[in-house]
Amino acid sequence: MLLVHRSRRAANSVRTVSPGGELFVASVVVAMLLAAFGDAVDPAWLGEAGLEFALFDFGGELSLLGMHHWHLLQYLMAGAVIAGGIAAFKACTGRVFRPLHPAPRRAVDKVPIELRPKSS
Amino acid sequence: MPELFSAGFLSALLAIVLIDLVLAGDNALIIGLVARNLPKNTQRKVIFWGTFGAIAVRALMAVLVVYILDVPGFMLAGGLALIWIARKLLAPNENAASPHANPAAAASFGAALRTIVVADAVMGIDNVLAIGGAASGSIVLIVLGLAISVPIIVWGSHLVIRLVERLPSVILLGGAVLAWTGYSMIVREPLLQPWLTAHPPARFVIAVLVFSISLAPWWTERLSPKMQPLVVLLPALLVWLLAFEIADPHLERMGGLFATEVGSYLVEAVRWLGWMPLAAGFLWLREQRPHRAARG
Repeated sequence: MLLVHRSRRAANSVRTVSPGGELFVASVVVAMLLAAFGDAVDPAWLGEAGLEFALFDFGGELSLLGMHHWHLLQYLMAGAVIAGGIAAFKACTGRVFRPLHPAPRRAVDKVPIELRPKSS
Repeated sequence: MPELFSAGFLSALLAIVLIDLVLAGDNALIIGLVARNLPKNTQRKVIFWGTFGAIAVRALMAVLVVYILDVPGFMLAGGLALIWIARKLLAPNENAASPHANPAAAASFGAALRTIVVADAVMGIDNVLAIGGAASGSIVLIVLGLAISVPIIVWGSHLVIRLVERLPSVILLGGAVLAWTGYSMIVREPLLQPWLTAHPPARFVIAVLVFSISLAPWWTERLSPKMQPLVVLLPALLVWLLAFEIADPHLERMGGLFATEVGSYLVEAVRWLGWMPLAAGFLWLREQRPHRAARG
């Protein structure tokens, strides 16, 4: 039996994880996958496609092609930056655009338009 | 091996400690259960020597794994095993906190010690395999990692439990680190090196495959029932594409139809379109299952 399974919450971590924690780990996974992508692509192919600037001439170690040399600490930091960016973006857009909630499907006032007689 | 106390060294150490924490066996519970019927005086001796024996066996196994991973083929096998270990770690467990198999109480000091050491060795196989992969052949890293994490697990297990109780994302992070270690081990396999050098894009396909299988319990939870077949279809499609990438040169060498232009077009057609009827068949069978169960 695993020590962490002594806690019911930890044993069901995929269900009990907080949205912030989940976003952070998902961002770390995205950084790891980006590193694997940088490891897989041929720099010459990127140059031919005209993507040099966008993908790897971006500033030395921060480039996509340099990511496969990264260590776990760098992935964690990148994950924190990505997660922080997404959270900030979500907060900003939430203030600018008010989310629309659909009316219940079978509600009488499904279409929230009220017809009023013209005032003459 | 990374330079001592460089960023690479500290990162590998962090990975080892994290893996040690999330994959640690419940030694305290085993020791308590095994020694419960022994006299008080012998119980104290069992706790001390049982802990010591478990640590010694764990360290010996970890060092042995480093040498075993140098044998061609074992790095690949270890990487594949880590995928399964990560999956098992993340799979929801409703019966947590109630151990299924309680070890029987030992009647003597020797029997108790033997049970504790064997139980730790069995529980620690996944752990030493993972830290062997994360250490990239460095014995210093393994010894340091064990020196940091074993006291935490043995004497501070309640702290570990409190940490994961408060932050379940540590378990998810542990799963992600295990998947990353598994991927690194697979692409470091000496037998695969020539093929991976000739097919660089395969590295990315392998990474997506490893993460999609290892973290499946996590993303399955977030998918709607309609999208659940993706858990099987995505990895299956990637395996299909990889299989064709591997088989391609062998098919050309076989000659006959495969050596002709028409043959190569046929192979390409099967590679890019052949998975569709299989996926449709899988989805159809999945749809039929509830109907068949209702009829049966």
